[in-house]
Amino acid sequence: MKAITSLLLCCFSVFGFAQNNQRFEEANALYNDGKFAEAIDIYESILETDVHSAELYFNLGNANYKLNNIAPSIYYYEKALQLSPNDKDINNNLAFAQKMTIDAIEKVPEVGFSRIFKNIINTFNTDTWAKIAVSAVLIFVMLFLMYHFSYSTSRKRVAFVISVFSLLVACISVAMAFQKERLVKADNPAIIFAQESRVKLDPNQTSEEIFRLHEGTKVQVLETYGNWKNIQISDKSKGWIPSKDLKMLKDL
Amino acid sequence: MTMKRIKNRAIIFLFFATTIASAQVKFEAKVSKNKLGVNERLRIDFEMNKDGDNFVPPSFQDFTVVGGPNTSVSNSWSNGKRSFAKTYSYFLAPKKRGNFTIKQATIEIDGQTYKTFPVTINVTAAVDQPNAPPKASDLASEKIHLVAEVSKANPYLNEAITVVYKLYVAVEIGVDSWREKDSPRFNDFWSQNIEIKGFNVENGEYQGEEYRYVVLRKTVLYPQKTGKLKLEPLVLDLTVEVPNGKFDIFGRRLVTKVPRTVTAGNRIIDVKPLPEEGKPSDFKGAVGDFSFNVTTSKDQLNASESLQAKIEVSGKGNLKLFELPKLNVPSSLEVYEPEHLENVSTNLSGMQGKISDTYTIVPQFKGKYPIPTISFSYFDLKTERYKRITSDDIIIDVLEGPMASVANANENPISSNDKQTVKPNTSTFAFIKTATTWSDIKLSPFFDSTLFWLLLLLPFLAIPIAILIRNRKDKHNADWQGKRMRKADRLAKKYLGAAKKALGQKEAFYIALEKALHNYLKAKLNIETSDFNKEKIDTILKERQVEAGVVSGFISILENCELARYTPITQVTMKNDYDKAAQTISFIDKQLR
Repeated sequence: MKAITSLLLCCFSVFGFAQNNQRFEEANALYNDGKFAEAIDIYESILETDVHSAELYFNLGNANYKLNNIAPSIYYYEKALQLSPNDKDINNNLAFAQKMTIDAIEKVPEVGFSRIFKNIINTFNTDTWAKIAVSAVLIFVMLFLMYHFSYSTSRKRVAFVISVFSLLVACISVAMAFQKERLVKADNPAIIFAQESRVKLDPNQTSEEIFRLHEGTKVQVLETYGNWKNIQISDKSKGWIPSKDLKMLKDL
Repeated sequence: MTMKRIKNRAIIFLFFATTIASAQVKFEAKVSKNKLGVNERLRIDFEMNKDGDNFVPPSFQDFTVVGGPNTSVSNSWSNGKRSFAKTYSYFLAPKKRGNFTIKQATIEIDGQTYKTFPVTINVTAAVDQPNAPPKASDLASEKIHLVAEVSKANPYLNEAITVVYKLYVAVEIGVDSWREKDSPRFNDFWSQNIEIKGFNVENGEYQGEEYRYVVLRKTVLYPQKTGKLKLEPLVLDLTVEVPNGKFDIFGRRLVTKVPRTVTAGNRIIDVKPLPEEGKPSDFKGAVGDFSFNVTTSKDQLNASESLQAKIEVSGKGNLKLFELPKLNVPSSLEVYEPEHLENVSTNLSGMQGKISDTYTIVPQFKGKYPIPTISFSYFDLKTERYKRITSDDIIIDVLEGPMASVANANENPISSNDKQTVKPNTSTFAFIKTATTWSDIKLSPFFDSTLFWLLLLLPFLAIPIAILIRNRKDKHNADWQGKRMRKADRLAKKYLGAAKKALGQKEAFYIALEKALHNYLKAKLNIETSDFNKEKIDTILKERQVEAGVVSGFISILENCELARYTPITQVTMKNDYDKAAQTISFIDKQLR
């Protein structure tokens, strides 16, 4: 019974994918005809079926850019980059969209050891680190047994060296996976959707204004309190902003 | 004819009637002064412009009649008009200090009774110089007034009010010269004087009396603070000419010049704050009635050309007193400091005109740059509400130009290569992607799942298990003889199991035994049941290098099986046969190649 249900589900999802492909092509045709708003509607209806892809987000970003919707276009480009971080087209069009933003915020560069460390962690995503760890453990076990059972000294030596090395790789990979997981949890980017948003010192309306942000600026959300979010911009200044003024890039 | 005459008569009659009507009867009481010392005297005249009968004077109960009644009649013709006046005069001395009322006098004129108004007299303490003419300085102080007229005493913050300084001078005295001694400074106000060209003398009333006045100064004020604000007084030094009652030889009046300082009293202006309710966040203090617009000189251009964006506020209000909203443009546009222009004129109703900021913008790179809406809020004095005007969105399209090398958008510290700069390899906006592969939005992560930990840790368990198995195998190999025995047992168990169960029942036992032997041969030698005879078994076993003794033993068991069906067999023989069969199979198995 269970097998049948899962089979049905599988068929259904395949059918769903096919339907989504059709809608995707339909929306692309509308985009090409210059009917951007209609295209956006169809693209978003695909998102409602709980599937996504970097290309879908990219096209949504393009359509919004054509309609001069600054914040949504940047939002979708960023979404696309999350799925496919090194895509040249996405980065190119994102650069176009970012020229429409108003805020010029200096970036505080990360230096020294922490940068190197982060670069290493960011080489792979969490699951890839986890898979590396698992395969390294398998290799270690196989080579260790080979070392244990083989009779020739030279073979024993090679097997031992490689097995110890792969055990090391496994340990490091597990540590990296944990670090990556921690970084992913700490990273909560959001895009400012309000045309102008006042960043306050405290999470209430009467508090003193520190600075202002404009539509399309990317911020890091550090904390949520009631209807307010504590944000940090790339020059490391922090403040509180009403939740309705921004949209999180990650669904929580 | 008769009709015409009647008409003429009617006209004549009407003419007379109007002259009678126009010659209104006047009957008045006039006193020489309303205020006098108890040791002074007072004259009261009852004047009428038509003769009458039965004049009844009032009682004068608080006064002693010192003289009178004196009657005078004047009758004059001027410009063909007759004027008649008859006056009854009395001289009165007050009996004591206090306020007294001289009651009405009555007279009958043309059969009608007329009355005067009662007159109130204030009798004060005795004076030094009874019945002296008033001093020039007193006159000067009584008859000259400097007044500050304020258009609104409780304006809103930043609402225009005007202060007009007027110098009232009584008809009978003159002003020779004047000088501002202290011109007021309007602290807490933004002020502007309105220039007055020439001083025009005008007639007006001051506290019910005829005066002449001159407007000295007009100032427009915009209060900059709330609460009670004091207007500093204007102080004037005047030389006043007061007639001294003497005349020169030409009959001209002689005047006495009196220096005099007049001030307009302090005025308090109570400035209301602008209401907090509904105060827009972008309110910067503009009060009045304005229009607002943002324009750009062009909306399509090439990079490194320039365009002007103009933010303009026009209308009526405190134009010079608020900041214009700032222009916000994308950071990638080069914007120069704005040029501020004011074209404001000030008149009595306040400032009027327009102010503007003109920004010069030079786009450097190709692309679309939006100038976001700018909003301007002001307080409307008519409706006493805040109003907001929002400009339209303007998009500047830069058609041609170099592409910017933009720092990598991917400032996300998580995603890889955050130091990499992306130089768009093409100078165009990339087209949409036409093919895609879908993935579920909700993905279950592999890391930290049960599967992950199992896959990570189970292989370690494999090491002791493998070692254990290997050790056991080694031990097993070492025990060779035992192994053989175990193998024979295993063979016997496998093939002779059925026979062993039937041990004791002759028929069943031998059938099972025979079948077991056949099965064994079938399994080991691939002999079909059809060609199963002793000769064949003998040759095949010998081919497979089984010893002749063993082969004959095997065949003898098979023969025994056939024989046993027809001969009586004891339990012991059956057991022997079984053991023999087991041994033979074991031997064959060992020798079989």
